[in-house]
Amino acid sequence: MPTNTGANITQAGIVVHGLRKVYGQGDTAVEALKSVDMVVGPGEVVGLVGPSGSGKSTLLKCLGAIIEPTSGRMVLGGNTLYDNGWVTKDLRSLRRDNIGFVFQAPYLIPFLDVTDNVALLPMLAGMPNAQARARALELLTELDVAHRAKAEPSQLSGGEQQRVSIARALANRPPVILADEPTAPLDSERALAVMRILNRMAIQYQAAVIVVTHDEKIIPTFKRIYHIREGRTIEEAGQGRSLG
Amino acid sequence: MISLAGRDILHAWPKFLLTGMGLGLLIGVTLSMAGVYRGMVDDAEALLTNSGADLWVVQKDTQGPYAESSSLRDDAVHGIEGMPGVALAANVTYLNMQVQRGSDEARAMVVGIEPGKPGSPAQLVAGRPLTRSHYEAVADVKTGFSMGDRIHIRRHDYEVVGLTQRMVSSGGDPMVFIPLKDAQEAQFLKDNDAIVNERARTSANPAFNRPGVPGLLDAAIASQTSSHSVNAVLVQVLRGYSPEQVAEPIRRWKHLEAYDRAGMEDILVAKLIATSAKQIGMFLVILAIVSAAIVAFIIYTMTMGKIREIAVLKLIGTSNATIASMILQQAMGLGLIGFFVGKLAATLWAPVFPKYVLLLQSDALRGLAVVMLICALASTLAIRIAIKVDPAEAIGG
Amino acid sequence: MKLTSPIKRRLLLAGLAVLLIGLFFFVMLRSGPLAPIKVTVAQVKQGSIAPELFGIGTVEARRNWMIGPTVAGRVLNVKVDVGDTVKAGQLLAEMDPVDIDQRLASLDAAIERARSTQTAAAAQQADAVARRALAVSTMRRNQDLADQHFISSGALESFTQTKASADAALDAARANATGAAQDLNRSKADRAALLQQRANVRLIAPSDGVVSARDAEPGSTVVAGQSVLRLIDPSSLWVKLRVDQGRSGGLAQGLKARIVLRSQPQTSIPGTVDRVELLGDSVTEERIAQVAFEKAPVGMSVGEMAEATIQLPSIPQSLIVPAASIQRQGGSTGVWRMEAGKPVFASVKPGVTSLDGQTQIIDGLKAGDEIVVYSQRPLSAGARLQVVDTVVAPAGAAGAAQ
Repeated sequence: MPTNTGANITQAGIVVHGLRKVYGQGDTAVEALKSVDMVVGPGEVVGLVGPSGSGKSTLLKCLGAIIEPTSGRMVLGGNTLYDNGWVTKDLRSLRRDNIGFVFQAPYLIPFLDVTDNVALLPMLAGMPNAQARARALELLTELDVAHRAKAEPSQLSGGEQQRVSIARALANRPPVILADEPTAPLDSERALAVMRILNRMAIQYQAAVIVVTHDEKIIPTFKRIYHIREGRTIEEAGQGRSLG
Repeated sequence: MISLAGRDILHAWPKFLLTGMGLGLLIGVTLSMAGVYRGMVDDAEALLTNSGADLWVVQKDTQGPYAESSSLRDDAVHGIEGMPGVALAANVTYLNMQVQRGSDEARAMVVGIEPGKPGSPAQLVAGRPLTRSHYEAVADVKTGFSMGDRIHIRRHDYEVVGLTQRMVSSGGDPMVFIPLKDAQEAQFLKDNDAIVNERARTSANPAFNRPGVPGLLDAAIASQTSSHSVNAVLVQVLRGYSPEQVAEPIRRWKHLEAYDRAGMEDILVAKLIATSAKQIGMFLVILAIVSAAIVAFIIYTMTMGKIREIAVLKLIGTSNATIASMILQQAMGLGLIGFFVGKLAATLWAPVFPKYVLLLQSDALRGLAVVMLICALASTLAIRIAIKVDPAEAIGG
Repeated sequence: MKLTSPIKRRLLLAGLAVLLIGLFFFVMLRSGPLAPIKVTVAQVKQGSIAPELFGIGTVEARRNWMIGPTVAGRVLNVKVDVGDTVKAGQLLAEMDPVDIDQRLASLDAAIERARSTQTAAAAQQADAVARRALAVSTMRRNQDLADQHFISSGALESFTQTKASADAALDAARANATGAAQDLNRSKADRAALLQQRANVRLIAPSDGVVSARDAEPGSTVVAGQSVLRLIDPSSLWVKLRVDQGRSGGLAQGLKARIVLRSQPQTSIPGTVDRVELLGDSVTEERIAQVAFEKAPVGMSVGEMAEATIQLPSIPQSLIVPAASIQRQGGSTGVWRMEAGKPVFASVKPGVTSLDGQTQIIDGLKAGDEIVVYSQRPLSAGARLQVVDTVVAPAGAAGAAQ
């Protein structure tokens, strides 16, 4: 199994080494993550698969800078985020600039229209409104939902909403995209369509994409898969089936 | 950066507007209460201004004629007219009573005046001043009477020949002006049954009903039914004299009490209205607390309804400050809508109140500041909750 | 459509907001303390003014009498009642004469007795005359005898003395007779006096009239000066009018008046001022005038309230203004004159005011000046005004928004 360690540490993408997370203290302590190593290169889309209770969500939350790991190292987009301690206090800006989230459900902000939903993050980062909206429109066009640019999220179909949420994740050009069960509610055709988009966007914007999933429909499409079991990850080559 | 608060409001504008209107009605009530207090003070000021007097001369050791009852002989005015510094002096009587027009009744303060002298209404809004010495009246529009109406006061009918506006007693009752002699009779002469009763009593009294002295009984009865008392003498002071200069000799040599404008204001506003002022003050405090609670509750509910969105926003990188600012802006926006609606409502329904409601602009500005402050404070509860939201909730489980 | 609907909605909301804010400011400026004061104006013009005087009074009878006894007594009978018409000299009532008749009888008896006494005295006198005549003739005879020395002088003396006694007896009898005559006169005089008193207990009508009150019933005791009946001359009813001293300028005899009785408020009765009393009422500060009816109406009662309006000669041409525009400030009288839309206080000298509210202006204004008549609030120099037709709506509505 090809492993990427050390040599790619300074590159963009995701590098995780020896990540450990313990919940609680003393007798009631639970070691959710024992030792996790992962490497994802820019433009790569890897799967993260595991049964429930395996620490999948914990790993995602650590990667997403939502919870603090106990020890280890995380490098995202060439920037060391965590090295036995957060490198910076402002996790929110960290997330805003470095990580794009794609959720199980679209979770669009209902009181912003589609364009503004996508343009929100660049605006928060300080980009002028017109420019942010222009970029949003760009992404929406890429994702083939530009004709819905002025609509409210409630007026869109499920698939359109999902595509908008992907556009939102990409709006700030983050080096990392974390997707949590993005295809769970979709049928196989839609699921494959989403994977096609993710792959295309990953390559186009050179983002490292981790997809947490247990959806059998798409698992065969990954070239590489990380299995997580009892707090450890095992890398494995995927089938890499073509998405067409 | 776009305004998240603004977008949220625009998105759910019916709910926001309705909530704002509801809050606005509460604020309107609060402003009206303050207006009631101001109106009471203004009533007292109007009473003092409209009387056209610089000095009020009343019975010694009383605080009349408005706060206490006061009774003087009606010939005291001649002595006062002759004193230095007095431009005009006039007798005046005041009596709160029901005035009838047909089958309607209105509560009014019947004022006995000498036309053209202090105490008579200075400006009319219709008709003419009193010209006849009996049986004419000038009424305030608040009584509901119109020109030409025949009204009944005590024993006689009067024709309404003129109308005034904003001539009220310190209690807010509208005034009806009638000639002094008629008012004296109305105040001090009783109804027919009482007169007949008095006559019988006098006749039964052997001191008045002596057989050898014909005419004694009639004289005694006649003296009972004449009225030569008034409630106050109103004095206008000549230019160049101060009211106190004129008041001091009256107090000393005439054995009467004299109050100037400041003294009367003190009696009316500080003493007469004091209890009502305290009551209204308490009401305002209670209303402010209730408003604060309502705003807090509304904002809290709106925030709770957005927990998921807040979690997502936090997750994707929105700072706590941005989210807190959104909630604060919403609270202040609600307060602003509420204030506008409240001020509008208060202005529109103020004339309908039975008492005069005076809405001052300074009160409105103060109210605006207080509303904004309350909204800001009330939003802290929701802001606290928003800050505590864990971004991890966006990732289900 | 999907594109324009949010824009349209935004426009709609913006429009609504602008409308509300506009309404808000409109209400702010048009009402409350910032609003301009509503006033009506009028032009000062030349006209004639018809001043009148007003007073109230009671209907009284010019000629009335109180009929009663001159001494205390008891009423025996009353022959007339209220409303009866009586003629002069008619017997109206009688007092109880009590013992007058008996005293008259007693006096009659005294007179009879006096007469008897007089007769006795006359007889006595005749007797005395006869005795004297005898005594004189006896003395003469004995004188003659004495002169002829037929009897002694001692014997003559007894006859002389008898004559003297007879003289004295005659004088006494004469005096008695005179006394008896005086007694008779006295009794007669007493009787005449009692008859007068007897006449006094009859109460006679002094003049034609109508009984207006019956104050004592038969059997009641009245003192001297109390009335048993009151009489009035119904053709002499007039109104005793009281006019305020301050507004009675020009009150004079002969002025025409219109009288309205309390019992007939719709009717106006013509009359004339018959007399202006010299003595007014200083306590109530009123002058008193007597106003006579041209033709007395039927069904009036004495004591009824009446109002009278007396017409003074009209003043033909002078500047007149509505009385409502006159203001008194700081000791001076004036009106608010409009100069370029702002009010200015102009001192005036007012003349008479008519009863319907027009005031003559003697000095201070010229014809054509525009003055403020009615205003919502007290004015001050230079205040912001809004000229309207009427400050209050005519049919009893309670004024504009404050």
